[in-house]
Amino acid sequence: MTTVTADPAPPSPPSGRSARPSRLRRSWEKHWYAWAMVLPVVIVLAVLIFYPLFRGIWLSLTNLTEANQAAEICTRSITGGEVCAENPNRWEFVGLDNYLNVLSGNVGDFWQWTGITLIWTLGCVVFHYGLGLGLAVMLNRPMWGRGLYRVLLVLPWAVPAFVSAFAWKFIFNERFGLANSLLSSLGIDPVDWFANQWTSLFTAIITNIWLGVPFMMVALLGGMQTIPGELYEAAEIDGASAWQRFRNITLPGLRPVSMTVILLGTIWTFNMFPIIFLVTEGQPAGGTEILVTGAFRAAFEGIRNYSLASTYGVLILSILLVFSMFYRRALRKQGEVW
Amino acid sequence: MRRTARGIAVLASATLALSVAACGGEDKAAEEQPAVDPASLTAELTWWDTSDPKNEGPAFQELIAKFNQTHPNVKINYQSVPFGEAQNKFKTAAQAKTGAPDILRAEVAWVPEFASLGHLYALDGSELLADESDFLETPLASNKFDGKTYGVPQVTDSLALMYNKELLSEAGISAPPTTWAELKTAAQTIKEKTDAEGVYINPAGYFLLPFMYGEGGDLVDTASKKIVINSEQNAAGLAIARDLIDSGAAAKPSANDAYGTMMTLFKEKKVAMIINGPWEVNNVKQAPGFGGLENLGIAPVPGGSAKAGGPVGGHNYVIWSGMPQEKVDAAVAFVKFMSSAESQAFLSEKLGLLPTRTSAYDLDAVKNNATVAAFQPVVEAGVGRPWIPEAGQFFGPLDQMATEVLIQNKDPKAALDTVAKKYKAEVVPSYEN
Amino acid sequence: MSQLTTPAAATPAAAVAAAPAKAAKRPGRSRRSPAKSLLLHGTLIVASLIALGPIVWVLLSSFKPGYAVQSSDLTLVKDPTLANYSYVLFDTNFPKWLLNSVIVAAFTMLIGIFFSATTGYAVSRFNFPGRRPLMMTFLITQMFPAAILIVPIYTIMARFGLINTLPALIIAYLTIAVPFCAWMLKGYFDSIPTSLDEAAALDGCGPFAIFWRVVLPLARPAIAVTAFYTFLTAWGEVMYASAFIQTDNKFTLAYGLQQFVPQFNPQWEYLTAAAVLVTVPAGVVFMIAQRHLVSGLTAGGTKG
Repeated sequence: MTTVTADPAPPSPPSGRSARPSRLRRSWEKHWYAWAMVLPVVIVLAVLIFYPLFRGIWLSLTNLTEANQAAEICTRSITGGEVCAENPNRWEFVGLDNYLNVLSGNVGDFWQWTGITLIWTLGCVVFHYGLGLGLAVMLNRPMWGRGLYRVLLVLPWAVPAFVSAFAWKFIFNERFGLANSLLSSLGIDPVDWFANQWTSLFTAIITNIWLGVPFMMVALLGGMQTIPGELYEAAEIDGASAWQRFRNITLPGLRPVSMTVILLGTIWTFNMFPIIFLVTEGQPAGGTEILVTGAFRAAFEGIRNYSLASTYGVLILSILLVFSMFYRRALRKQGEVW
Repeated sequence: MRRTARGIAVLASATLALSVAACGGEDKAAEEQPAVDPASLTAELTWWDTSDPKNEGPAFQELIAKFNQTHPNVKINYQSVPFGEAQNKFKTAAQAKTGAPDILRAEVAWVPEFASLGHLYALDGSELLADESDFLETPLASNKFDGKTYGVPQVTDSLALMYNKELLSEAGISAPPTTWAELKTAAQTIKEKTDAEGVYINPAGYFLLPFMYGEGGDLVDTASKKIVINSEQNAAGLAIARDLIDSGAAAKPSANDAYGTMMTLFKEKKVAMIINGPWEVNNVKQAPGFGGLENLGIAPVPGGSAKAGGPVGGHNYVIWSGMPQEKVDAAVAFVKFMSSAESQAFLSEKLGLLPTRTSAYDLDAVKNNATVAAFQPVVEAGVGRPWIPEAGQFFGPLDQMATEVLIQNKDPKAALDTVAKKYKAEVVPSYEN
Repeated sequence: MSQLTTPAAATPAAAVAAAPAKAAKRPGRSRRSPAKSLLLHGTLIVASLIALGPIVWVLLSSFKPGYAVQSSDLTLVKDPTLANYSYVLFDTNFPKWLLNSVIVAAFTMLIGIFFSATTGYAVSRFNFPGRRPLMMTFLITQMFPAAILIVPIYTIMARFGLINTLPALIIAYLTIAVPFCAWMLKGYFDSIPTSLDEAAALDGCGPFAIFWRVVLPLARPAIAVTAFYTFLTAWGEVMYASAFIQTDNKFTLAYGLQQFVPQFNPQWEYLTAAAVLVTVPAGVVFMIAQRHLVSGLTAGGTKG
């Protein structure tokens, strides 16, 4: 800003047409409205997310916890007065110790949690997208009762997620649940869903698929509205089969939306806290813990270990950044991405 | 420079506080006769209650109304906060110095933790501890940290053997088992002679403590700073629990929602015995078809080769150190009222909660309450937990171990060794293994 | 409105897109064979049943007394009662929570859509410096787990005096909703032909006017999707609410619901009854939103 005003730009009335405007000024005049449009969002995100995030990166290099963060611990007496004592174990910079501890398995089960997180994310996103796309294609056709189907199919999204989590937990309850009583009525032995790591993870994935499909469906349904109808018309005249039309018109037409929902869906699922936390509770014995829930339990039970939590946060962020780089590169081969 | 100056100021105020406290101690008469008229106290206090909002909350609100009869100008903003989230919520708010309640009902293990973080007022020298000796020793101990007292016990509890009288007599068992061996025989008999299962063991760390205490084990030894969780005693205790399940005396526990399953089965008379605390009495009483309190037997937890005892639990009243000094008198008056023998007796009568004052047990309302009477020996046999700030982190690894041993059939000693390793790495690094 | 329709109708692209799209619908429908129709409806009915299953459990449980919700005999209906609903509606602060939720969700929706639409439009149409980093930045905000951010965000909110206020929630929910919506809308704006913008620019519209009068109305389906998304984000969120909200009269519905299920002795019957009451408005909002899930180009074109 100061550069702009300090610039000895000629006070020419037809703005932006001056002979030699500075680059900054030219850029400002050309783009000010674009910047103005994004500014409010940038400010809010900077204050609420980026400040804590950068602080988190710094914290991960320290050993700061709730107990050692203050320089002195003061005790107020109810009869008046306050005694302060210097904190004997003041936090300090520890370099990469946290990362070494976490990655070597000295603290927590990073590698196991990462493995489970990858299975969980892949399982959920594939089914979210596949089922969401299938339903969206069907619901995009004009037919009888379309509005009703749309509303019914979107309901799982409308129920608060933690209530659905409880509902599914009840369904998979080993003694009283619907799942086991259905199995028994088919003559199959009831399953101790949560006693085995994989069946337990299965219950969580089923729950999350159920919860997430409506979102994908609605997003893709929205995306389908951008595909010009005449493309289908032309394809039909050329005698293209339904599959060919889907493959050559619908999928490419959905590309921008698909790219966004898969990318963000992956990020969200990777960090999806409540489902694992409520449905499996990490059972059996931590076997279905994903990175976020594991990190939460490791760092936020009892004295909260902010440096450890941040270390996990940075590791999660790094994994997702690497993923999005690869994703972007894979997509760029097919054209412009972002 | 500024630092030293502040240090001196702090020191000065501390000595002032000491002398004030000393004066208060000497002047007994002033203490017994409140210097200020209760009606003249004016303040607005926020209280976070973590008790069950439906069953227990209304009784606490009744007590507040009683308090306001004598203290009409002290407004209590009662806010029920779910127990599960109160701990983090309080700490987050206290740390930000905004939004924490003036008074909190804190679980026993939270008090040393909050105190170590400087979030609580030390109550020494106030009226609240004037009759300190009246409080039961073990519950009071949970309020002490580093030589000071930071809370006042509200309610105490411990695990007991809760049983279905009807089912036991149907199986021909006249008295509840007092040892784990007796429990096993009794459970097997019940399984044979009735439609119900014998006992349900909740595969969670806290609920396995009676087995470990029974053989003389513990989690850590705070005096010698040693981690003793992987002792032979604890392994032996776990082996007993595991044998109950393997032999079929105990129902096969679920890995998830075992607590809810246990309660549902017990209320439906599908299991004859459980190990649980007084907080469920009301719930069992209301279950249709159970037969009310007449059918509910309460006995101390069975013993092992060393002793019989459950972990001591309960809740305390604490005062947030961020509360302005001018509200202290009102807060003290409120906590004093709430923790008085009369109020505790009122809660016993209404909710069956166990008082923390010796004098309360002499009041008729408590003496005539069958549930409280049944729990008294249970509480007397209660084993104090290590009251250190890190205590909150003990149960995560312990719960995992419980699932491993009771559901996944891992070797108790090996599972306990893993817990010990975690304690050393993540919970109490300064302790010896 | 007149400004809106003129350029849209005047643009050949829109007119071309509109007419055949409209015409294409009828033959498509009549040509479907009965077998295909059966398959289509069959699949959708099965999908609907799966979608409804757990919700039906919630609904049925909401009419049961507490002891019958978790029970060893699985029953659909047991001692049906409306007591749960009357407790939730009249003995709790439910109406107040509903009002709070409506306020929070409405503001999150309006502000969120406004911000993400302007951002998405800027990113879609203008090649300004910082455009690519901005999109990446949005992604990064979603990558750092929110559970870990709660404590620092609380401290910031406390500094602004926002603890225990509804604006705290609106701001927090915007940080969840806006990055996604901006991405979605950017993708959608990309597919609206720039010829429309150019035509409007020739008519003398500035960049804001083009955005507001031309592009935004054409983006109706995407706006409907993002509106519903922001609404539900605010409607069902619990984690931030449980951190920032402290008194009963400021609770949102979803957080208020959580009060019914403490660790011991959860009141499933009240939880389920309240959940039903919470789901109904969300369903209604979707019913309204889904009407706009039709081609924006068609809608814009036919109006002119």
